[in-house]
Amino acid sequence: MRPPPGPFRPGFWRSPLRGPWMTAVLGSILLVLVGIVALTGFLSHAAYQPDLGRNALVDPDLPFTTFFDWPTGPSWLYALTQGLHVNAGLVAIPVLLAKLWSVIPRLFQWPPVRSAAEGIERAAIALLVASTGFLFATGVANMQYWYVFRFDFVKAHYYAAVVFVAALAVHLVVKVPVALRAYRSRGVLAPLRAGLAETRPEPDGDTVAAAPDPPTVSRRGLLAAVGAGSAALLVANAGQSVGGPLRSVAFLAPRREGGFPVNKTAAGANITDAMAGAGYRLVLRGGREELALTLDDLRALPQATHTLTLGCVEGWSTRQTWTGVPLAELARRAGVGDPGELVVGSLQPAGVLRQATLARGQVADSRSLLALQVSGADLSLDHGYPARIIVPGLPGVHNTKWVGALEFRA
Amino acid sequence: MRARYGSSPLHLLAHLAALALAAWALLQALQLGGWERIVLWLAGAVVLHDLVLWPAYTTLDRLARRGRPAGWANYVRVPAGISLVLLLAYFPVICAKGERTYARVSGASWDGYAARWLLVSAALFLVAGALYLARSRSGSSS
Repeated sequence: MRPPPGPFRPGFWRSPLRGPWMTAVLGSILLVLVGIVALTGFLSHAAYQPDLGRNALVDPDLPFTTFFDWPTGPSWLYALTQGLHVNAGLVAIPVLLAKLWSVIPRLFQWPPVRSAAEGIERAAIALLVASTGFLFATGVANMQYWYVFRFDFVKAHYYAAVVFVAALAVHLVVKVPVALRAYRSRGVLAPLRAGLAETRPEPDGDTVAAAPDPPTVSRRGLLAAVGAGSAALLVANAGQSVGGPLRSVAFLAPRREGGFPVNKTAAGANITDAMAGAGYRLVLRGGREELALTLDDLRALPQATHTLTLGCVEGWSTRQTWTGVPLAELARRAGVGDPGELVVGSLQPAGVLRQATLARGQVADSRSLLALQVSGADLSLDHGYPARIIVPGLPGVHNTKWVGALEFRA
Repeated sequence: MRARYGSSPLHLLAHLAALALAAWALLQALQLGGWERIVLWLAGAVVLHDLVLWPAYTTLDRLARRGRPAGWANYVRVPAGISLVLLLAYFPVICAKGERTYARVSGASWDGYAARWLLVSAALFLVAGALYLARSRSGSSS
């Protein structure tokens, strides 16, 4: 049967650069990048400690349990993993586009399916491309506060990532041998030595053009252009992940404001001056009787000062010097000698993050504070006045602001 | 069996395992609120790339190269490509799509993203122009 006109005809494809080696190189680079993005994505899921209290944002009954406790050190751990997640994702975008470009003739192969094996393979490829596009599009929109998708980002992003991992794994089973064959027959790096004048089409492979145009760029030139695109995307954002003076270099990062960025304002969380004013009480539960402490009571307790990094799931971070009462000290005041989990309640009346549960190791760490001050001055209302949690390595939003209640479990 | 299926039994088993796991995740996603939009975004990602983005940049590239000497295509399409990929990845800040949400949650405001994107694009084209000039000078003098 004669193929329909256009991209279904072999003569349509003209690039002299397409071929199994080119795809293998782009695929190898992309694999490293999406490997980092997927790993740090699932680590972020673990960092929220979904098995504790009401922490689970996806589904408390997921069949995959977290098999380790999220550590409290180094304090920039979550800023690092989430900074890698977002920045490696951005860097991957040009590589992903180039990789798809290198294999797109296969989308239009004729006939579309030649065997049952090819049919099932193409179904898996469709899932791989769909989940990849979905993850990148929703991730990029979410980090820039554009909630245009109008579904639960965390849940949808998580399940799409499971689809992605399944489809990628089987793609690797099928394609790693093809890539290795290309590397063996042409050399891993040898084709990069050819300048424009020596650039020839690859000898064989089903994406090699039947009637190629003369080359307008060498293979190393193509990789350099892709790399330049990746570098531009990285420079545009990375400063917000590192924080400090580099923040202003990040010319398209959503979080460029200097000082100490506010994740959510008091007004946005429906916190009023009255709630945080003279009537403020911190309720301590877990001991034989409930205690209610005023802000002055808290100030009279032993204080500690630590410089800790706060990392946000959106990929930005800030390092600040915090002063407050160690959580272990508050457990002693509450009358809980050997505290286990800690349920932290915020004064904010609504929202999934008004309650967070911390693990035993996080409560025990001497740097975990109920902070009253940052950089030597009282917290501002937007930063959680009168008191907020700061725990090293904890995802930003679990460092609950406007803390109204602490419930220590034995 | 191999002749009729078209590959080895391992190929079939690996695909069945992967598709079963993917089906589980998709079924979970279908129970979420707004599941129609999740399906739309999954399908939309493929359609937008394969039937809009790829044809658009390929056609643009072919038109730009038509009838011109091979030497100068890269000086235009590399800076243009970087500029467009910046626009693609940072569309929500450049076009201030998330500005209202951002202002509500952070109390701050977005300023100058479109201007910075345009200025960086201008710089990219200037650098490419300077490189072209330098190369054509050295080419004509040697």
